Amino acid sequence: MMATKNAQAYEAVNKTYEWGFHSDIEQDFAPKGLSEDTVRFISAKKGEPQWMLDWRLKAFRLWQTLESPDWAKLNLEPIDYQDAFYYAEPKPKPKLGSLDEVDPEILRVYEKLGIPIAEQKMLAGVEELGEDGQPKRRVAVDAVFDSVSVATTFRKELEAAGVIFRSISEAIKEYPELVRKWLGRVVPMTDNYFATLNAAVFSDGTFVYIPEGVRCPMELSTYFRINAENTGQFERTLIVADKGSYVSYLEGCTAPMRDENQLHAAVVELVALDDAEIKYSTVQNWYPGDENGKGGIYNFVTKRALCQGKNSKVSWTQVETGSAITWKYPSCVLNGENSVGEFYSVAVTNNRQQADTGTKMIHNGKGSRSTIVSKGISAGRSDNTYRGLVRVAPGAEGVRNFTQCDSLLLGDQCGAHTVPYIEVRNPSAQIEHEATTSKISDDQMFYAMQRGLDSESAVALIVNGFAKEVLQQLPMEFAVEAQKLLGISLEGSVG
Amino acid sequence: MLKITDLHAEIDGKEILKGLSLQVNAGEVHAIMGPNGAGKSTLGYVLGGRPGYEVTSGSVEFDGQNLLEMEPHERAAAGLFLGFQYPVEIPGVSNVQFLREALNAQRKGRDEKPLSGAEFLKLARAQADALSMDQDMLKRPVNVGFSGGEKKRNEMVQMGIVDPKLAILDETDSGLDIDALRIVGEGINRIMRKSDKTVILITHYERLLSYVAPDFVHVLSAGRIIRSGGPELAAELEREGYAGVVA
Amino acid sequence: MNLLAVPTRRDETWHYSNLEAVASVWPVQTEVIDVPAGTSIARVIVQDAATDTVAIRDYRVILREGATATFHVLNTGGSFGRVAIDVTCHSGAHFELGGAMLGTGEQTLEIVTTLNHIEPNATSNQVVRTALGGRATGSYLGKVAVARHAQKTDASQSVKAMLLSRTATANAKPELEIYADDVKCAHGATVGELDANALFYLASRGIAPAQAKVMLLGAFIGSVFDGIDDPAERARVEAAAQAALERLL
Repeated sequence: MMATKNAQAYEAVNKTYEWGFHSDIEQDFAPKGLSEDTVRFISAKKGEPQWMLDWRLKAFRLWQTLESPDWAKLNLEPIDYQDAFYYAEPKPKPKLGSLDEVDPEILRVYEKLGIPIAEQKMLAGVEELGEDGQPKRRVAVDAVFDSVSVATTFRKELEAAGVIFRSISEAIKEYPELVRKWLGRVVPMTDNYFATLNAAVFSDGTFVYIPEGVRCPMELSTYFRINAENTGQFERTLIVADKGSYVSYLEGCTAPMRDENQLHAAVVELVALDDAEIKYSTVQNWYPGDENGKGGIYNFVTKRALCQGKNSKVSWTQVETGSAITWKYPSCVLNGENSVGEFYSVAVTNNRQQADTGTKMIHNGKGSRSTIVSKGISAGRSDNTYRGLVRVAPGAEGVRNFTQCDSLLLGDQCGAHTVPYIEVRNPSAQIEHEATTSKISDDQMFYAMQRGLDSESAVALIVNGFAKEVLQQLPMEFAVEAQKLLGISLEGSVG
Repeated sequence: MLKITDLHAEIDGKEILKGLSLQVNAGEVHAIMGPNGAGKSTLGYVLGGRPGYEVTSGSVEFDGQNLLEMEPHERAAAGLFLGFQYPVEIPGVSNVQFLREALNAQRKGRDEKPLSGAEFLKLARAQADALSMDQDMLKRPVNVGFSGGEKKRNEMVQMGIVDPKLAILDETDSGLDIDALRIVGEGINRIMRKSDKTVILITHYERLLSYVAPDFVHVLSAGRIIRSGGPELAAELEREGYAGVVA
Repeated sequence: MNLLAVPTRRDETWHYSNLEAVASVWPVQTEVIDVPAGTSIARVIVQDAATDTVAIRDYRVILREGATATFHVLNTGGSFGRVAIDVTCHSGAHFELGGAMLGTGEQTLEIVTTLNHIEPNATSNQVVRTALGGRATGSYLGKVAVARHAQKTDASQSVKAMLLSRTATANAKPELEIYADDVKCAHGATVGELDANALFYLASRGIAPAQAKVMLLGAFIGSVFDGIDDPAERARVEAAAQAALERLL
């Protein structure tokens, strides 16, 4: 039921792009541009401890010496980092424990986004019962509105289970030891241009800690939303799953219409210790720009998981339909013996969108296994690239990898590219990689239409079939809306 | 129900139908027979509205509407069903999903309310049972990994589910063994042998006609109907071959 | 003559190269082979340079309308041995590659191909088999680029590598760059080791382990050289491959 409502809401949100909307909440802006002062402003604004400021400043100084990477198959104008705001927060409210205390303007935006339809009752503490009399499956939401978390639900129940689910700003203050121990461990501040930038100016994000042996009692979810004009958004997410724990995390995003390009450079770090499992699902449908490529989000994301413990497992599932530019490689460093990494991806590009996305599976642990399933769908005049690395270290005995990369082209003005790197230094590894390129055949279209579907429905249906292996990995909450999204994203691509 | 008048159609500039005329009424079963290359499948595709098949002149009226002006899915919603000689595979899309979306799209086109998942499943299961098709096949991707006979049977299940007014069945008998032929034949009679429905059987051979008795038989040759008659014409063709009749 | 600057790690087609070795022989000669419309050529390249040398073979092949080129490559010599083939396919052209890399010791070997399908209806087929022992590195970098409007392109790559020692490295990068929708482009790449069951089976029939490995590797390299028309040429390449295999084990 919730899934359906969410799906409707998503649909509404997507339709809304036709007109665009943005709310006018009084913003507290950092001064425009990027300097040490900006970094200090952000840190001070958040009341951070000295170590955090030092860390940020170190990153900023490093960043100034770096060059923007140019290896991805992306065609974009240089970004003027001085022409953006690096911090904006909604007008602060003293304490945001309940729905009533949240700025009504924010709630109105959430409503447009579809969040409250599913979540309002939860925020209000109303528990819906399913047919079996048991509480329905629930999702806890840590909503990031622009840059600052404004409402976190279910905190108490999570706390009872020992789960820490906080905005990262709160966590830095409340759990400094835990944050300090893992922040930058998976994605060091030196990692890459955008990760370094994020380390310097990250505004907010989510921190999750699942203690030993705990199965997180609900799906955790963060909705991202970019709201202020010309404001870069720099999320930082850190999830630590202690021994034998399990968590499923959902990430979904949307943004209102804009003329200027908006920069987004998030960092997501996952840590899975012995026998722990993290399932991380993303549906990304930020504003992709108009059909001429005007506007749209620039999305430079560094996502990486450290499968540190034996038998640990991290599964990335992503449905990428939005953004003008997507630069994103959710990866797994498989250090643990018999650890498992998975990457399931659907990337849709239409009009002038450009996506360069894929994964890295770094096999250091004995018996580690990975599966990569990538489904790229290109339409319009877009470019869609899978870029992946499978690396097997000399000491990693018995590694297995299976990779399947399929591209679907809709029309002859788009591009579909596959760039896999395979690097094997252990003879016992079994690595398999397959790639195909296809289009929707005229036969398929006519067959579906003869049975009564119009051309857009037929395309949506066939594309969903093409992407099925990935979509079925999504938690129920996301699966339905993701299916609709694929169809919506490809509207106007045929006929 | 369907009135085809002096229909000319071509593919890639090559004329295949050269002045075909045919009228079929509700409650009738027509068989169109003819040698290879006569234009039998082309007729089915043109009536279904397949892109690439260009009608250069003539008219087709379906239930008082100009069929040629309609999109393929609009023709489907109007009640036209084309049974494919080679049903198409759609990987990843289950039969159930495909048919439910298709049926509900057709119903929407007719201003009928959509069937719920449960209602649809009940209908689909009944049709699958009636055609002795394994229920599991409803869950499998459309035609993927089906044998030739299974694909044809699946076409009949689909026909049973969408319940069309007019079915044009292109070589539905090919690839069927004798038992399957009987089941399919019975299916056609059960679903379509009604006073308000019409069937056009496009076939090479007489064998399907012993299960679905036609009221009229037409011989299509070089893009035109060159002879029409009753069921006895099929027997004559079987006896003497097309060469004798066409000559 | 390739007049470009000495390549660096940032140059994708030199990503896994021994750059010092490259610099020592730079610039390298590029042999240009322009195949007229409707004609075909066949080339057999046996790169078996002495192990202390650097051997770079660089080819640029232009296949005019309907032309065909068949390349068979055995890349097994030199401390750094590279065979690079850049192919441009015009309408209806066909390119065929059967390649084997057999390396051991400290060798770095690579086969690098770029298939530019610039017009419709051209086809290409590449089969590369690699076996590596010692501390050798073997890399296949193959890019298939299909230009806009080069419809009906049919391009396939089959890449398999086998590591025979714990210190060898196999790299593969089968790359697709597709700008046309009505194409058939597929690639498959595997890396693995000799089938232990098969080795045991052969041993149980009395075949010594080393011999069994040669047999299995012979089968693995297998059909790569089957398409060589000239029997004498084919015998020569197969003998060289056999010798290289025995050196490997």
